[in-house]
Amino acid sequence: MIGHLVLRNAVHRPVRTAITVIAVAIEVTLVIIVVGLTSGLLLDTAKRTEGVGADIMVQPPSASVFMAFSGAPMPISIGKKLAQLEYVQAVAPVLVQFNSVNGLDLVYGIQPDTFRQVSNGFVFEAGRDLEDANDILVDDVYARAKKVQVGQMLHVLEHDFHVAGIIEHGKGARLFVLMSTLQEMSGARDKASIFFLKCDRSDHAAAAIDEVTQLLPRYEVRPLKDYMSQITSSSVPGLDVFINVMIGIAVGIGFLVTFLSMYTTIIERTREIGVLKSLGASKGYIVEIILSESSVLCLGGVVVGIGLSYVVRVALLRIFPALSILITVRWMCLAGLIALLGGLLGAGYPAWLASRKDPVEALAYE
Amino acid sequence: MEPILKTENLCKVYRSGKVELAALRDVSIEVLPGEFISIMGPSGCGKSTLLHVIGGLAQATTGRVLLDGNDLTQMSDAARTLLRRHKVGFIFQRFNLLPTLDAHHNIALAQHIHGNGFDPHRFDAVVELLGLKERLHHKPSELSGGEQQRVAIARAIISEPKIVLADEPTGNLDTKSSESVLALLRQLNRDLGQTIVMITHNPEAATYGNRVLHMRDGMVVDNLPGH
Repeated sequence: MIGHLVLRNAVHRPVRTAITVIAVAIEVTLVIIVVGLTSGLLLDTAKRTEGVGADIMVQPPSASVFMAFSGAPMPISIGKKLAQLEYVQAVAPVLVQFNSVNGLDLVYGIQPDTFRQVSNGFVFEAGRDLEDANDILVDDVYARAKKVQVGQMLHVLEHDFHVAGIIEHGKGARLFVLMSTLQEMSGARDKASIFFLKCDRSDHAAAAIDEVTQLLPRYEVRPLKDYMSQITSSSVPGLDVFINVMIGIAVGIGFLVTFLSMYTTIIERTREIGVLKSLGASKGYIVEIILSESSVLCLGGVVVGIGLSYVVRVALLRIFPALSILITVRWMCLAGLIALLGGLLGAGYPAWLASRKDPVEALAYE
Repeated sequence: MEPILKTENLCKVYRSGKVELAALRDVSIEVLPGEFISIMGPSGCGKSTLLHVIGGLAQATTGRVLLDGNDLTQMSDAARTLLRRHKVGFIFQRFNLLPTLDAHHNIALAQHIHGNGFDPHRFDAVVELLGLKERLHHKPSELSGGEQQRVAIARAIISEPKIVLADEPTGNLDTKSSESVLALLRQLNRDLGQTIVMITHNPEAATYGNRVLHMRDGMVVDNLPGH
């Protein structure tokens, strides 16, 4: 009966119902998309780093697993020492720079020969490999997103590069230049940010890690096999805080809208509450009705919000093809739970007020 | 026979700042099971307040109210609510049906609140008695005044209360509908032994009861036999 009463009330006031559902949907979409964007970014980065094809990644002491924050503090001569280790077949030094002009991208400065030995080389969709100091390679995703073609000039890191080739995505960064060029531009001559190591056999990776750790005891030595599991939101300074703030804002929206909606509802239905009390409805019964109504509206908002998230995802990917937005069942459920809790909290005070209304006054309410 | 309802020196005072208004003054009445009592009086004489207090919707200031042996004045709000749920049925001048529910659900709501679940036999019997079978799936806005009041009566009696309290049940009805509703109440009283206390300002309506109590200025001034 309460379910029937709740549904009839929702249908009876369609505008109020629609507004509440939409607000909760926006809340849910916000949470799913924000988390999806951050997760997608991290996962995409991790996948592409794993895609380099190396077995081990060597970084300077206390370096972040998220390479964009690594800097370039390692002498390139370390590479020669690493190459002499028993289980190491190839070493590719890479200088990483973060480009914030015309987008946010990582740029890898590479030595084509050593990078080819570790990664088995690029798959070209157009053009050629890096030859000249101002050459740049872009991956197909970047090329599609920015409408870049071979032969074009591309302004990256405050420098004009010539697009020499378009490669298949998945090998680390989206942009590649010669290491010497990047070292010159960033004042990091003879320095590298990372060393990618290829082992003679993949099952020798653990032994190789031991070797590297003995050689460079304070350096960060990571197996790339499980790199994806190492990349989390806490790897990026402030990202967890950002996510929590966005979730907090979303909950605030849901709370306020539900509060207002339920508050105006109990004002409108004061006489109804009086009638229910005259029939012998307890305070708990009245609270149950209000909270049930809030739950139904929130659930409606959650369903619409999940659908809207997919729509927003499609729209964002159309506009920004290089983006990666990961929508997971886990976060759909969490977003739904957050919305439901926010809605119940928002309806709590109006429900309490309704339960305490004097029945005589409520019955006389116009 | 023990009275189903008894008040002893009942007083109800409303306070607003320093202003006090005595709505009921030393009201002592008894209602026996199966009686149909009409309470008459001018506006503001305390009729509705008396109904609210004996129905447990409002607390008395002083005095006692015994409903089916239970002293309402010693009860908490929760206890009075429970008592009202099981022993009192209300009928209002403005019907007070829930506008979003059809007649069927308005009546069934009372059963649901009562806590014994939907009893289809009782439901059908009450609907039959009140001639509502063809109107069950209509919302209050689709019913005439008389029909709405019959739905309200059905809601009031569906859980077999000890006493029905009717606050000007014909106040918003035309003459024909009023007669119909009053006849129904008399039928409930005579055929089913339903105890009814009805407030009215209509002398003709008052005669439908066994007894008429007259009130003025918060007091019972007269106690006369009805029709």
